[in-house]
Amino acid sequence: MALDTKKCVGCSDCVVACQTENNVPIGYCRDWIVEVTDGTYPRLELELRSERCNHCDNSPCVRCCPTGASHYEKGGIVTVARSKCIGCGACIASCPYDARYSHPDGYVDKCTFCIHRIQKGLKPACAAVCPTSCIYFGDLDDPNSEVSRILKQRKHKTLIPEAGTKPQVYYLV
Amino acid sequence: MREEIITSGRLNPHIDPHLEIWHWQIPLYLFLGGLAAGILFFAALYTIMGKEDKYPGAVRRAPVIVPFLLILGLFALFLDLKHKLFFWQLYTTIKFQSPMSWGAWALMAITPLSIVWVAMHIREFFPRWDWKYGLLKDLESEAVKYKVHIAWVIIVLSVILGIYTGILLSAFNARPLWNTSILGPLFLTSGLSAGAATIILFSQSKKERELFIKIDLLLIVIELFLIVHLFMGFLASTSVQIDAANLFLGGPYTAPFWIFVVLLGMFVPAGLKIMELRHMKVPVIIPVVLVLFGGIMFRFIIVFAGQMSRWLY
Repeated sequence: MALDTKKCVGCSDCVVACQTENNVPIGYCRDWIVEVTDGTYPRLELELRSERCNHCDNSPCVRCCPTGASHYEKGGIVTVARSKCIGCGACIASCPYDARYSHPDGYVDKCTFCIHRIQKGLKPACAAVCPTSCIYFGDLDDPNSEVSRILKQRKHKTLIPEAGTKPQVYYLV
Repeated sequence: MREEIITSGRLNPHIDPHLEIWHWQIPLYLFLGGLAAGILFFAALYTIMGKEDKYPGAVRRAPVIVPFLLILGLFALFLDLKHKLFFWQLYTTIKFQSPMSWGAWALMAITPLSIVWVAMHIREFFPRWDWKYGLLKDLESEAVKYKVHIAWVIIVLSVILGIYTGILLSAFNARPLWNTSILGPLFLTSGLSAGAATIILFSQSKKERELFIKIDLLLIVIELFLIVHLFMGFLASTSVQIDAANLFLGGPYTAPFWIFVVLLGMFVPAGLKIMELRHMKVPVIIPVVLVLFGGIMFRFIIVFAGQMSRWLY
């Protein structure tokens, strides 16, 4: 996934779409908006980011899960198998992005890139609903996918790459 | 003035403003597990060395509390789980990359062995104990025959259990305070120290008490040495780890850590132990209780402070 920080207006539509699509309990969120204001008045710079699970290539959450509930799906998406999750919280503590939370029903929950939609050929809910179309989604291994093409054209970054988790959500800057 | 203001729209319960996913259950369990590992280590060690009759407090008497400690610890762990009915999933998987997985398996092995150990020495407390059923009597005589073998298994498992309580935390790269490999040996030493202190309570001979006072003194010194190294490592590391160390060097955990863990849990009992060795009158229970108190506070503080330390981005 790639997100254009220059196009994002921070409207939180992606947050609400996700909550609706995935029945996220009230008071919780799987994606969220971060505003970073930087500089000296009156020369201020604002960066808006819609953040979520980075579906890391070297996921600490998958590594530390004692039951194998947190796992990689085919294609690299990181998901939690609810019937295997014991709610020990190890994965929550292991995530440098704090992208996971304990669902009131007991299991651990987080962004799935709307895998149920992707399997039907649809975009994730956040990408589908974004009014500025700033969220690009696709297969990073396919050089012709929308997300691979935009990453070739634009400067981009990942969040705390120094944590060593190889995050797979890119921010266009 | 140049400023960077970060505003996040996320407010997930137990995650924001800082992580609070592990409460009292985990540090309590880490303490009980470490203490059990410490007691079993010395029991197995002196059995293997053939000094069972010289140090009956360590080999026969103190381990009687171990099954209770382990079961209480496991119960605390169970309470911590949020998806409790699925706990058995731990035992359908072996994942070597997950410390929690092999910790769960080590506990699965050491808990029954500790019960066997207590059963073998039950006559220490109930001299006229009778197993009533032939099968149990046979099992006991078999166990006694292989006692040294069992001790070898226990000594290995107890070291694994003791180290695991620290490795469990140090495997988390996301929490800079925990992410140091020194936590494994540090928790092991602290567990052994707590174990030695408990054995002092159970031993009836002066000679045995003196030995364990010396052992505990040595372990406290090692622990202090490891704590100094812990902070040296942090302060020479990246900014997130310097921030983590600052939780204890001026931050909110400064007073509890240095007063409860280092002063009351290490320096004071070490001083009292030296007085005891110089044949001054010190009530046996005071240094023991202080060492145990220091051990439990240490785990509570590390678990809670670790959840406050994080990467900033």
